[in-house]
Amino acid sequence: MGLALLFGLFFVGLLTGMPVAFALGLATVGGFLYEGLPLFIGFQRVLSGISVFSLLAIPFFIFAGELMMQGGIAARLVRLASSAVGWMRGGLGVVNVASSMLFGGISGSAVADTSALGSILMPVMKEKGYDGDYAVNVTVTSSVAGVVIPPSHNMILFAVAAGGVSVSKLFIAGIVPGVLMCLCLGVVAYVIAVKRGYPAETFPGFKSLAISTIVALPGLMTAVIIVGGVLSGVMTVTESGAFGAIWAVLVTILVYRELTWAKFRAAVVTSVRTTALVMLLVATASAFSYLLTLYRVPDLLATAVTGISDNPIVILLLLNLVLLGLGMIMDMAALILITTPIFLPVVVGLGMDPIQFGVILMMNLGLGLCTPPVGACLFVGCVVGGVRIDQAVRTIWPFYLAIFGALMLVTYVPAVSMTLPGLME
Amino acid sequence: MLPQDKSTAEMDPVERVLDMVSKVCVAVAGAGLVTLVGIFGWLVWGRYVMNDTPTWVEQLALMLVVWITFLGAAAGVWTQSHLSIDFVREMMPRPLRVPLHWLALLGMLVFGIVLAWQGWVLAESTWARRVPMLGISEGLRAVPMAICGALTAVFTLYQGVKLATGKD
Amino acid sequence: ETWRTWAIHPEGYPNVVALESFAEDVAEATEGRIEPQVYPGGVLGAQPDAIEQLRAGAIAVGNFNMGPMGEIVPATNVLSLPFIFRDIDHMHKAMDGEIGQRFSDALSEAGIVALSWMDSGSRSFYNTKKPIMTPADMDGLKFRVMSNDLYVQMVDELGGNATPMAYGEVYQSLKTGVIDGAENNYPSFESSNHFEVAKYYSITNHLIIPECICVAKSVWDETPAEDQEIVREAAIAAAEEQRQLWAERSDASKQEVMDAGVEINEVEDASAFQDAMEPVYSRFIEKNPDLESLIRDIQAVK
Ligand code: NA
Ligand code: NA
Repeated sequence: MGLALLFGLFFVGLLTGMPVAFALGLATVGGFLYEGLPLFIGFQRVLSGISVFSLLAIPFFIFAGELMMQGGIAARLVRLASSAVGWMRGGLGVVNVASSMLFGGISGSAVADTSALGSILMPVMKEKGYDGDYAVNVTVTSSVAGVVIPPSHNMILFAVAAGGVSVSKLFIAGIVPGVLMCLCLGVVAYVIAVKRGYPAETFPGFKSLAISTIVALPGLMTAVIIVGGVLSGVMTVTESGAFGAIWAVLVTILVYRELTWAKFRAAVVTSVRTTALVMLLVATASAFSYLLTLYRVPDLLATAVTGISDNPIVILLLLNLVLLGLGMIMDMAALILITTPIFLPVVVGLGMDPIQFGVILMMNLGLGLCTPPVGACLFVGCVVGGVRIDQAVRTIWPFYLAIFGALMLVTYVPAVSMTLPGLME
Repeated sequence: MLPQDKSTAEMDPVERVLDMVSKVCVAVAGAGLVTLVGIFGWLVWGRYVMNDTPTWVEQLALMLVVWITFLGAAAGVWTQSHLSIDFVREMMPRPLRVPLHWLALLGMLVFGIVLAWQGWVLAESTWARRVPMLGISEGLRAVPMAICGALTAVFTLYQGVKLATGKD
Repeated sequence: ETWRTWAIHPEGYPNVVALESFAEDVAEATEGRIEPQVYPGGVLGAQPDAIEQLRAGAIAVGNFNMGPMGEIVPATNVLSLPFIFRDIDHMHKAMDGEIGQRFSDALSEAGIVALSWMDSGSRSFYNTKKPIMTPADMDGLKFRVMSNDLYVQMVDELGGNATPMAYGEVYQSLKTGVIDGAENNYPSFESSNHFEVAKYYSITNHLIIPECICVAKSVWDETPAEDQEIVREAAIAAAEEQRQLWAERSDASKQEVMDAGVEINEVEDASAFQDAMEPVYSRFIEKNPDLESLIRDIQAVK
């Protein structure tokens, strides 16, 4: 009964269009009153939910990503990708995917990826005769790489929600699936481009390729600092996030000379906003999950799932479909926080490593960022590309299939995600 | 029209004040973010170069992130930039849409008030406790929560007035 | 009536096993009037939060460590003084007697009724570099400590570089050299897998911090006297069981880390470590003059 009230209040709140974080908070208040628990415990959870050391990496990654965007690192990555793979048929589509792969290695955010790369690439694509829907489709779906390829603040959220999974292992585990996903997307982008007869760019020559590589290197170093800092062990994840941000400031001021005071301020303001949105969700979701724990929801779900089927293949497919469905209507951060404590025990019961589940969750919910009716990347992509959402969605399904295919591989072949972290041992 | 899309001249006096308040929140939170990055630089410097780890960084960082979160979240209420699912509401016919909108505002108002009240309660009950390694009051952690709640309530009230007078 | 029972330790840990026995005993002896339900693994929150929850009556029973308790009940900081107890037996003798009662009284003023005292072993230093024989061996090494001024002072006075750090970050930080060492008891050293990366464990026994089985005062005062007696007896029995299980677990963990190639050493001269703590004690007494007699009385327990 209490559980029904909790979820009932939450869904009514969502239905009215209240922000998700507030709907979670209000439902929690209702639940506490119903259970006769002192309210301050709920709000104690709100506070302690964000007073967690490993969450400190989130503002750093967000800030580093914003600085890249404002300071011209994104543009140089596009130039690099363009000299490397632009000569292919439908080259700009493939360039788009490749840029996302590079940018994904720096930014942890798919939305930042969409807006940064989209605003650079989409105008060029349209000018060269690419259709608007294609440009949006490629930009939006490949931006999921930002979530899967490390670093990724969503992975930090998962690590915390999962009760202390190793962030560095999670980071390593995301590399192969992220690249695999981009390969699938690249193939789809290429095939469609050939079918639609899009042009190829001329190969600028190895000298030009070398130059654009060198120019992009200081920007790419940000990724080396963050991921390398963690792996080499000079710094902890949190510290390397902070150093990534410091490095990004230095490179964009001293090397690229593009980060003005106004742009720096813009990066700070946007980072504060994004950080606050994510962290407020963490805060209220942790109060909400206090009640889920009291009601022993994870146990209930585990029992329910094993009641449906005892075949791991079926259960994993079901879980993926449920997550995809949820991902269509809700945002990624909130879903990571709510579903991880509920679903993780189920998959661990099936013998899956929590790290592998983390990668699955990233890809699955990442796909949700590109789907209507609620898909932050799709929205941003359509706005930047000047394309109506229904127009973009009509032709996007091959790209969905590419991500879904990669997702299935990662789900059923543990080696795809677990080989690299295994080498760390 | 959202406040951030307007020039100051287009705002009524109340709106101008509230807009200023939200900007102050973002400015303070922004300074907090830059400080956060800075003290982590200092931490690594201290550990490797001075071989004398600053022991206050961890706890100060945890305190800062709470202030950044709640001040930024309050500003997010003003600019209506929190994640929400409004497609369901927008699909509804007008006679349903308007009451739903009112309900959303009511919910925000209630939660804002409870947040402010409970933030106050927590600040009071933990005021005597010290944050380890910093020596400052543990209650300072709950203060931004109370501020965020109060501002959420005020901002939401203003949006309610706007909705009632049909100016939005 | 359901009594929510909080524990930070995971299922199967000596404390949780003992709490489960406690829950069973109480439910049976009170014929279901009181049914403790154990929530292990800190699912209801970390210790500072759980203490607040207990004081508000939202959880009825807690298995609290006296280390972080100092922020709320200052007298318990005495238990965080390095080398306050000579060994585990000394701690048992003190806490089971009049000294324990004085801590119970202090806790009771904060709304916490301590019924019995459990073990959390004795903590020693471990590191990735070398065996520690004398304080000089700690010179310049970075040791992770819990966020508590007393532990920071302790490492600094021994010549090390005290580095407060979240527990979850320690493994990776040891592995990669962000820090050189940390300090803990055998079971935690083993279950955290820190032994895989820190190969030297030096028996300093510098911290012996008891844990309590505590009941919320608000809940306790509403419990009839006969049930209070049942609960108290069950708590004392559970603490005895926990001490037994803890000792076994500690030996098993010690064996396991030794099998994994960890080099364990006794320190040459324990008094050199204890003497180095003189400034820590004098600063503490200067700040808490009222606690000096408690310290002297603990030291006087034979
Ligand atoms: Na990334
Ligand atoms: Na979506």
